[in-house]
Amino acid sequence: MQVIINGLISGMVISVLALGFNAVYLPSRIFFIALGGIYAITPFVAWACLQYKLPLGVALLVAVLAAMVLSMANEFFIHSPLEKKNKKVSPGAHLISSLGIYIIVIQVIAIVWGSETKVLREGIDGIFKVGTLIITKSQAISGIMSFFLIAAFLTWLKNNKLGILFKALSDNPTELALRGYNIKTLRLFAFGLSGFLTAIASLFTAYETGFDPYVGMSAFLLAVVATIVGGQKTFIGPIIGGILIGMIRSQVVWHFSARWQDAFTFLILVIFLYLRPYGIAGSKARLESR
Amino acid sequence: MNYILHLLIYFNIYAIIAISLNMVVGYTNLLSLAHAGYYAIGCYTYALVTIKLNMGFLPALVLAVFIAALMSLAISLPAWRFKGDFFVLVSLSVQVFLYSLFYNWVSSDSGIDTIGTLKNLTNGPYGIPGIPKPSILSIKFDSIGMIFILSSVLLGICLVISWNLLKSPWGRLLKGIRDDELLARNIGKNVRLAKIQVIAIACGMASAAGTVYASYISYIDPSSASLDDSILFLCMVLVGGVGNFRGPIVGAAVLLLIPEMLRFLSIPDSIAANVRLLLYGLLLVLVVRLRPQGIAGEYRVE
Repeated sequence: MQVIINGLISGMVISVLALGFNAVYLPSRIFFIALGGIYAITPFVAWACLQYKLPLGVALLVAVLAAMVLSMANEFFIHSPLEKKNKKVSPGAHLISSLGIYIIVIQVIAIVWGSETKVLREGIDGIFKVGTLIITKSQAISGIMSFFLIAAFLTWLKNNKLGILFKALSDNPTELALRGYNIKTLRLFAFGLSGFLTAIASLFTAYETGFDPYVGMSAFLLAVVATIVGGQKTFIGPIIGGILIGMIRSQVVWHFSARWQDAFTFLILVIFLYLRPYGIAGSKARLESR
Repeated sequence: MNYILHLLIYFNIYAIIAISLNMVVGYTNLLSLAHAGYYAIGCYTYALVTIKLNMGFLPALVLAVFIAALMSLAISLPAWRFKGDFFVLVSLSVQVFLYSLFYNWVSSDSGIDTIGTLKNLTNGPYGIPGIPKPSILSIKFDSIGMIFILSSVLLGICLVISWNLLKSPWGRLLKGIRDDELLARNIGKNVRLAKIQVIAIACGMASAAGTVYASYISYIDPSSASLDDSILFLCMVLVGGVGNFRGPIVGAAVLLLIPEMLRFLSIPDSIAANVRLLLYGLLLVLVVRLRPQGIAGEYRVE
């Protein structure tokens, strides 16, 4: 039971991150590796603010804003000009330049703040006991907050005008552009949203376990695996996938060892790519045609 | 003098890898992030068979190439179905899997003499020390100059192989697959077999480069199989350019010389490695933006 609860909570955080990835991937088909960089830089910004004696709330707000700005800068300076230059869609070029940005961000963090592991909270975490279960305070916060964030995101997607537009953009950008909406601005907004979700997920993890500059890539890959396992055509898919991946990873820790977590995650990815490439929640469609 | 020879050996190793990766990226348009894994397979195979079985350099080389070519099925079979981002993901999975294998195949109560047994094949994060210098027949390659000659010969062989292959009808078939796979299939070409062949040859070459590296450094640990190395290799071919022969060699030279030039600037040691990686990232972004075909390449990766 303890293992399942742990898996559920880490799975929810992965879900939030996977939503962040999908918020860019669905509208623009950009494989946004730089998200890993954003994931890594957010807690460092918060930490730097804490060093200047700012209150925790302000620090977190600044960090989230910085992540959003960085994410939007990506679209503004890299992806949008690329799209303008090459008339046809070129996923490879986007992927490579995003990889470049990721490397730059990570190395800048390492140069400015050093590569040691840092922590946001001070002292030992408090715990709650529910029956035989032991839940730490930060686990409880991240579990509840992720749950509400996911719920809020889904409601927003369904009821808000902007949310509906965003859903339309994810579904078919060309058609939306033809109907006279400004998809440039909407895409910029999608990148901002992605940065926001990533920053939140990153702060939860950083608050719970600490952080160093190199956490970005593995977290990003988890998000991608969750998205593909869950199904990438919808926004429900990444949530299901994230929770599933979180559960499986905690089971792996329980039965084998934490060192095999990554290997297992990618084993699941390969199995899914072969047997059900459209994911759990996706409808049947071939990946290769894209 | 030794410093220049050291650089040239590294250049030879990188050039072999860049040439091999060029065959995959430039001629079939599959961005593979698993190349460092295959390079490390070469390193480990060489280390284990020379230490444990006392093999000479040539049999060890043949064995390493064979094993890597066999393991390359792990990325060439998925290449039948996946293209673009999804192939990148699959190759990344293979990379992560190989890295975990090298990193985790170790038992806790292991001494140095249990390396190579089934319980402790790779000695995990501690690596394998004391890899013997190569010897062919009775010639011992134990000085830095001799290893330079060995690596140059190997680079020459790889160049000749890939030159002949890519100028042959088979090479044109690869270009055809790259430009229009459906058409190549339509006129009755065996696209799947060609993909398996090219990836096997490329991975075998990377493995050969790994054997030279292992014998030169005489120590090997899982960091040679890390994702950073895969990214570096990809960076070499993309910056240099793909689709012809100059490109990858130029790329290997550029990515080797940039960090060496940093050595002469007064950058503190603590951040030198970071600055080097930072430049790789910057190069990737600039190349994609300003010159998508690379410095000396022919084909635009898109």
